[in-house]
Amino acid sequence: MSSVSLAFDGLRRRFGRVRALEPASGRVAAGETLVVTGANGSGKSTLLRCLAGLLAPDAGTIEHLEAGSTLSPSERRARIGFVAPDLAFYDELSAGENLEFFAKLRGLPVARAGELLDRVGLPADRAAGALSSGMRQRLRWAWALLARPRALLLDEPFQNLDAEGEGTVRSLLGEHLESGGLAILASPIGLEVSGAVSHLELGR
Amino acid sequence: MPSPTSSWVASAQAVFTKDWRCELRSRYALNAIALFAVTTLVVTSAALGPAGTNKSLAINVLPAMLWLILLFAAAAGLPRAFVHEEESHTAIALRLAAPPSALFVGKLAFGVSLLLAIEALVAPLYLAVMSLEVASPGLLVIALLGGGYGLAAGSVLIAALASQARGRSTLFSVLAFPVLMPLLLLAIELTRNAVAGDAAGPALPQLLLYDGSVTIAGLMLFPAVWNP
Repeated sequence: MSSVSLAFDGLRRRFGRVRALEPASGRVAAGETLVVTGANGSGKSTLLRCLAGLLAPDAGTIEHLEAGSTLSPSERRARIGFVAPDLAFYDELSAGENLEFFAKLRGLPVARAGELLDRVGLPADRAAGALSSGMRQRLRWAWALLARPRALLLDEPFQNLDAEGEGTVRSLLGEHLESGGLAILASPIGLEVSGAVSHLELGR
Repeated sequence: MPSPTSSWVASAQAVFTKDWRCELRSRYALNAIALFAVTTLVVTSAALGPAGTNKSLAINVLPAMLWLILLFAAAAGLPRAFVHEEESHTAIALRLAAPPSALFVGKLAFGVSLLLAIEALVAPLYLAVMSLEVASPGLLVIALLGGGYGLAAGSVLIAALASQARGRSTLFSVLAFPVLMPLLLLAIELTRNAVAGDAAGPALPQLLLYDGSVTIAGLMLFPAVWNP
């Protein structure tokens, strides 16, 4: 399994006059978790979007290394696994059809979609538009793990999950870390995560 | 291990299939387009009657009317290509999973097939209700194919550019005028030649050039617009 690390330094982002992210720096390596905390509006989601390549930071650097190579923003987008509250799927398609569509987009075998739906305990034939918020969160997790990413960026990863659902995704997260992956978790409250954990608190 | 080319084609095909599957289940664009096309056809035929029997009207007015109907029918459905992805927040997953050029081509293929389906429905009805006789049916088919492709490609390109802005519908209208105007003039000219039985003239190569230019512009611009 290839080694992975993700480091960022002095990341800053504004939306017009609003300073959404004050300079933030951190580093996380294979098998480690970085827990990012902070009040609402402190920039946690903005930080994760910058790291995912969904937003360009106004300043600062991001170095995502996999197997000794630094990934470009487009490679980062293709390689990371991402969970966020506003990550949505096609309501007209079933959970299985949604995952199969994204598997085809990424050139992955569609059987991987079925495996992950079984793992997160979702019925493949249920329309995404008819999923409860907890089931949608399970679908986000399945989607994030589709391409077996080495880096997981998780914004409010346990939101809306019941105890069984949280146990399932924590187990998936544990397997990911044990296999040499890394994770960055963002939450307004501190999260308990097993293994090597570091913390970053964002504030105004 | 699939080659990069076959993987790219599979990605574009997946977008095309997904768009049709979602459209056939929601019927949002289909209903809007069909309603607009049928309404304008009925209004036009009620106002003008069998205008095709008047040679001057048949050559000078009816080709333009046909393309106006197609333009507004397309405008009722095609801008949704990317706007819907942004508004329903599915764009985040697409950005992370799809190669931008494959996404653009998949959306373009969906838009073109949708517009050609509209043309297959509207054009025969229009010829029938207007009693319009076409001297060169083959040239009319070429005009509908070339013009339909350009209209769909131009609309998808503008939709992609406008979807990133706040005032999406306003920006779509503002951009549509300069981008689609040359295409409409060429398509009308070609349709007029088909009705009159004239040769295609320079309008045909110009139309094909337009289609190629819009496609290349879309492939070049879209990745820069779509990703931050």
